[in-house]
Amino acid sequence: MRPDPAFALLELYEAALPEVYGYLLSRCGSVAVAEELTSETFLGAVTACRGTGAPPVSTRWLIGVARHKLVDHWRRREREERGLRLVHETGTVDPWDEELDALLAREVLAELGAHHRAALTLRYLDGLAVPEVAKLLGRTVHATEALLVRARAAFRTAYRRKEGRDD
Amino acid sequence: MTDPFDALRAPVEPVDPDPRFAAELRERLQRAVLNGGEMTSTEASVKLRSLTPYLAVSDARRAIEFYVEVFGATRRGDPIVMPDGRIGHAELAIGDAVLMLAEEFEEIGHVASPGGASVRIEVSDVDGAVERAVARGAELLRPVGDSGYGRGGAIRDPFGQRWLVSQAPPRTATGTGPRHGEAAYFTFQVPDDEAAKVFYGGVLGWRFSPGSTETAWGVEGNGLFGGLWGGPGRQVGWKLMYAVDDLEAALARVRELGGQTGEVEHQPYGLSADCVDNQGIQFWLLQQP
Repeated sequence: MRPDPAFALLELYEAALPEVYGYLLSRCGSVAVAEELTSETFLGAVTACRGTGAPPVSTRWLIGVARHKLVDHWRRREREERGLRLVHETGTVDPWDEELDALLAREVLAELGAHHRAALTLRYLDGLAVPEVAKLLGRTVHATEALLVRARAAFRTAYRRKEGRDD
Repeated sequence: MTDPFDALRAPVEPVDPDPRFAAELRERLQRAVLNGGEMTSTEASVKLRSLTPYLAVSDARRAIEFYVEVFGATRRGDPIVMPDGRIGHAELAIGDAVLMLAEEFEEIGHVASPGGASVRIEVSDVDGAVERAVARGAELLRPVGDSGYGRGGAIRDPFGQRWLVSQAPPRTATGTGPRHGEAAYFTFQVPDDEAAKVFYGGVLGWRFSPGSTETAWGVEGNGLFGGLWGGPGRQVGWKLMYAVDDLEAALARVRELGGQTGEVEHQPYGLSADCVDNQGIQFWLLQQP
């Protein structure tokens, strides 16, 4: 006989739900996707928390599970997009020090390819260090740095276009 | 120089989802936690059926022992114990069904109803089971007796649940045989069995294996338990054999209602009799051993 950690999930549900849902909604921007990923997070947590060596159930841990579900979601999206996307990515790093308009930035993010969006969200919205981003995306640190460079470039291009000053 | 991308930082801001979604997910989560997925699969021989009672009991450990001793239940996996010591989930196999139970958890609405749940249970020895139950503190609600629906009695166990204990019907070796009134065997009677094999094998893909006589064939692929029987002088088409509990009584009903009955024959699979209904259609009746 052993205590079942999954019951802690039920106890935590009311408090953790708005946090998990809020996290996902602000990062994927769609209620339908946020609801789907929220369900995946909680239902997946039942099995995950019963695994050997699983950390104690907490809101913080659930956000971590949600982050994984979000990455999986973008990975699926990326596979879908891959066939459509042009292999055209600028790799230049020009100094760029203007202040970003948060609302516009959100719109731009939503338009980026899933792989760029994932990298930028984890690095900047979630504020994770590059090695953590690399681990979540299943890439090397070096490859992740390169991906972030390309993602920033893609972001800048789209951002400037949105601002109406293509240069 | 600060990185302009730092402006994107977005700490988690709680957002309340659609209440309907929240309630639905809570229910799914509760089911996932209580039904335990892989935690229920220790005993593979008994599968979950369309319906499974889930009891809320006052003392799950004693209740499990009671059901094991009284009903011959077997434990299905380890019970899940909560940090406070309560049993959060346990499963027992009884006959071909599963019984789930947990102690009361008011916080999730898992509480015993006043008077308990009423569960009908079939056991091979009704008298013995009820006797054992009463000896272990159950309240006798109805002594064992013959009602119009078979032999049975009723008890309330020490954990508040009502059990309608009933005599299990006899089972055949392969499980549950056909019950009274159900078709037990299908024979397709044709004048020329070879022609029928070519025709139905060609149209429907049936396959045939040699049967008990030269013109009898087992049929595979038609979804029925039965065979093909060729030869002249028999009614052409499907002839069914129906199971009955009491062959003599059934034959008397056949005659009473204008049908005809043949001799009772002893077959390896039971007692059978050839019959014709009041419109001239042939059938067999079978009383299984």
